[in-house]
Amino acid sequence: MNEFQWLLKGRCYKLGHDVPHPGGVIPNWLIAGRYLDPKDLVPHLFEETDPGFHTRCKPGDIIVTGRNFGMGPKMNGYIAMQALGLGLVCESMPFLAYRAAIGCGVRVLTDCVNVTEMCETGDELEIDFRDGFFINHTKDIRREYPPMPDTLMEIVELGGNAGWLKDWQEKRRAGAA
Amino acid sequence: MGMTAVEKVLAAKSGRASVKPGDVVSPDPDFIMIHDGVVMGAKRELDALGITKLAAPDKVMMVTDHDVIYGSARAAERGAFNRKAAAQWGVKNFYDVGRGGHGHIFPMESGLLLPGMFYFDNDRHATNAGAIGAFGFRMGGEISRVLATGTNWVMVPKTVRLTLRGKLKPGVHARDIGFRFAALLKQGGLAADLDYRVLEYAGDLEQFDLAGRAALCSTPTEIRAYGVFVPPSEAILEHARTKAQRPFTPVYSDADAHYDADLKMDIAALEPQVSLPGSVENAVDVSEIESTPVDHAFIGSCGSGMWEDLVAAASVLKGRRLAPNVRLFVAPGSEATNRRLAAEGLLGTFIEAGAVMLPPGCGPCNDAVIGPVHSGEVSISTATNNNAGRFGAKDAKLYLGSPATVAASAVVGKIADARKLARS
Repeated sequence: MNEFQWLLKGRCYKLGHDVPHPGGVIPNWLIAGRYLDPKDLVPHLFEETDPGFHTRCKPGDIIVTGRNFGMGPKMNGYIAMQALGLGLVCESMPFLAYRAAIGCGVRVLTDCVNVTEMCETGDELEIDFRDGFFINHTKDIRREYPPMPDTLMEIVELGGNAGWLKDWQEKRRAGAA
Repeated sequence: MGMTAVEKVLAAKSGRASVKPGDVVSPDPDFIMIHDGVVMGAKRELDALGITKLAAPDKVMMVTDHDVIYGSARAAERGAFNRKAAAQWGVKNFYDVGRGGHGHIFPMESGLLLPGMFYFDNDRHATNAGAIGAFGFRMGGEISRVLATGTNWVMVPKTVRLTLRGKLKPGVHARDIGFRFAALLKQGGLAADLDYRVLEYAGDLEQFDLAGRAALCSTPTEIRAYGVFVPPSEAILEHARTKAQRPFTPVYSDADAHYDADLKMDIAALEPQVSLPGSVENAVDVSEIESTPVDHAFIGSCGSGMWEDLVAAASVLKGRRLAPNVRLFVAPGSEATNRRLAAEGLLGTFIEAGAVMLPPGCGPCNDAVIGPVHSGEVSISTATNNNAGRFGAKDAKLYLGSPATVAASAVVGKIADARKLARS
């Protein structure tokens, strides 16, 4: 198994404050229709504000958002972010949005005060989710934000809740054998 | 630095001397509750992984409260599935149709949920546990992990304190406090972020019985509190001691505990409130909205389904009939309350007034599986919230009030102040 990439190097994709999950992240019809397959979700990530986003982003790119990211019914957008290999760095998000992102296996930092003032879309960023180190190579800015708690890193490393539970069961079976 | 009640409970259940907000812990719960609507999803998810045995089947409580009388073939199928799941999992504490009632009410009434306890629930209205001085945390779909492993990760939440000053006037109900509180937060009269906080009450709390305390838990949940805590009074402890089905230790915040915000609210002059359609935060004095015609009324839900709530409604309905164009649904919170309504004659009061009695459970306040509203209709209820489409057509107008306000409105046929009805 390849080592999990906790250090992401990629381009910044910056969003403002109060971006809701339905509409702002992914169209509501995918949420209401309970689409959970990444294949269905990926083409529609940020579709209403930035059509074709999924064709331009690359694994390792980092979504940087303002305060209160991801209000409303959640999950589907994070499935798409995880599938695209994107990281997420927020000034703040409702706790259950944070929990949903972790549960979908997204590398995520929250409570990154004023992080949107440290970067613009297209800047070259480097972020280590293990220790919260943030570097903007384009603007030569370094900051330190709260890292991901260890317990939650384990979930993300296994691809989210489903992967964690599968791994738990496999280890248990192996232990019993 | 001392700890708040939720910090103390999470520390104790996680085997730690202390915790602070932001710590991630895996508490060992006193029990695990799963409601009827999500059993199928959890069972299939676990079966697919080959997980057929639960970590602690004796701790699991399965409750049929969201869709009790099966208004569709699909619901009946789900009921049958749930019974089979309970048997396969070896869940003995299965409160199926007609066996318990509302999962956020009957465990407190019957001494299953006691002060100082902690439990996991799939449903966010587990916050009701605060009424008896306990904590229930919502896991949503992650309840499957709790069933499989016995626990899940919890980030210790911050606590906001709300001190209530004064005594409610007669005819004003604990639900009215929540509606006003939500309005004050929205309008800026009080400032606090409730997202993932525990709202802990303080101040003049002796006046609130268990039903009043459950009512205090209701509205904060709708404005994103993750837990609510009402420190148990001597009367609540006496209730718990009388009913307790196992030992318990009440928990209180330390005097030097840290609060994320410290709010105060004077309730002595509070008037009965009505929340206007769209959000619990849209509360106004009942006098501002009186005379709005209503078609539909409902009394029940996590916030207003206990014995005292139904007594308040029955005292308004006694000897009266519903207005000709109003249908009133009543869903008691528990089978025990239902039996008491029959034994003490209140069932007759409701039926003679023309109300329709629903089985104990959520009633219309769950995706309108029963007693919904039609497009354009006006409803007043004690439901947990009045978000568009909460129980039926999205363009119906859903008002909220206390049990007395709803009963009075159903009698008058218009939104009404129960105190005026009593005098006339």
